[in-house]
Amino acid sequence: MREPSDRDLVRRARRGDREAAAGLFRRYWRDAWRAAYAITGRRSLADDVAADGFERAFTALGRFDDRRPFGPWLHRIVANRALDLLRAERRLSDEELPDTPDLAPAHAAGDRSLLASVAELQLERRVVVVLRYGVGMTPKQIAEALDLPVGTVNSRLARALEQLRESLEVEHVE
Amino acid sequence: MSSEVERRLEAMFAEAPEPDPGAGEEALHRALRSLQPVAPPRRGLRTAVLALAAVVVLLVIAAGALAAAGALHVSLGAKARPRPAAAQLTLPMGANGIAAIVDGRLQMVTKGGFRLQGLPVSAVALSPHALFVAAGIGNSLIAMAPDGRRAWSHPAGGKVVAIAWAPDGLRIAYVVDAGRHFVLHVIYGNGIHDNTIDRSVRAVRPSWRADSLAFAYVGGGGRAVVYDLGHTSHRVADAALPVTHVAFAPTGTKLAIATPSSVVVGGKTVIKAEVEALGWLRGRLAVAAKGFAPENIFFFAPNQASPRGYAAHGFVAAVTPKLVVVRNGPKVFAGRTTLLSVPRNASVGDVQVG
Repeated sequence: MREPSDRDLVRRARRGDREAAAGLFRRYWRDAWRAAYAITGRRSLADDVAADGFERAFTALGRFDDRRPFGPWLHRIVANRALDLLRAERRLSDEELPDTPDLAPAHAAGDRSLLASVAELQLERRVVVVLRYGVGMTPKQIAEALDLPVGTVNSRLARALEQLRESLEVEHVE
Repeated sequence: MSSEVERRLEAMFAEAPEPDPGAGEEALHRALRSLQPVAPPRRGLRTAVLALAAVVVLLVIAAGALAAAGALHVSLGAKARPRPAAAQLTLPMGANGIAAIVDGRLQMVTKGGFRLQGLPVSAVALSPHALFVAAGIGNSLIAMAPDGRRAWSHPAGGKVVAIAWAPDGLRIAYVVDAGRHFVLHVIYGNGIHDNTIDRSVRAVRPSWRADSLAFAYVGGGGRAVVYDLGHTSHRVADAALPVTHVAFAPTGTKLAIATPSSVVVGGKTVIKAEVEALGWLRGRLAVAAKGFAPENIFFFAPNQASPRGYAAHGFVAAVTPKLVVVRNGPKVFAGRTTLLSVPRNASVGDVQVG
């Protein structure tokens, strides 16, 4: 049987169909959580952010324009929630908090140096890198998600890649 | 063309860790609870909307004509957004920290020089000795050490409306607005082991007993309830309804309970008055009462002998263990110290001195 489209699920969920809402959740939970994890670098925060993102998305489902794709909209909520939380932490501490990603075993075995370099990126750059390479969004979709001009997204991506390249080169020389 | 870094990034994210299954289940449960069914648009409704739009258009045309004739002055443009209240905060002598919410924004300063102003919060609580601050931000409970070294956030499932930190600092009781009702939780001071204590309570700040093994709160029916953590038991305290404030003494086990017209301690009514604020100041029960001018704050000796009344010269915003905090116009003061200067119409809440 053909899988229902996001649009079908959104329309049914809007009418209170919990099965459809659960279907949307299962379809996007993993991606939303991984995006939240990649931005925050902490499992506990990723749990909070992704859960909160779905809660907000479902609360606002009545206002969602179902002619647009659901995934980027959800990722926008999740990314903004992650940014809000990290910024709130920064403001609470009155200084830049050290990012201390709790490296999972999968990462420990993988590209650990790259992960560390991503964690060192400025928050705004890190988010576009995560959305581009972690979630697979296009610069245009990222621009819409973060309410930024496409040029800003492209320049942040370019600068982030340049910074990552430099830090990896330094590491290689050392 | 994809660069080496881009390829490595894609590979790295492809290997990113997976969420815990338990987290997914909890998140799904929360998400489904937040689902708000929307009725499909009806033709009648659509017609009504179109008719309303037509009326609005006609009114705009009429207003335009009047404006052109000079009979009506029309101003267009975005209304200026109100600026957040600017507040001056001063730490009183001997205190480790002071926090308050001014027009929905946190104002905080600690002895160590940590100053935080402007963060939008729904509730705030200082830990003992102001070593930590807990705040409701969005739908989360967030805690932070003033040096910024340790922090955690916990999804509360709604707006946090009241927070109370246990005297030993190990636990936090907090009340969450869950939509149709308020829910009481207790969480460890390090942000783990969140427990739901009561699914229907009033939005009143809980008060911890001095030994940190129990706390009082106001249940959904308006009764004062004491929850004992050791026995995980609830005991309803004897008092009239509805309870508006609860305050455990800073030593011992005495609990003061305020209703709209009286204060009860140990089952005995100690004063009949409309209560503005309630607390224990230097071991004595302090009640700020309305309608007792010129005295409006009363101190009760430990044996509950006749109270002594004083004039507070303003609205009593809080009774803390060491200070009575009074609001008078733009000034919030304690004794001769002005703790906060705020815009005259600003709202001030959750004043805490640690």
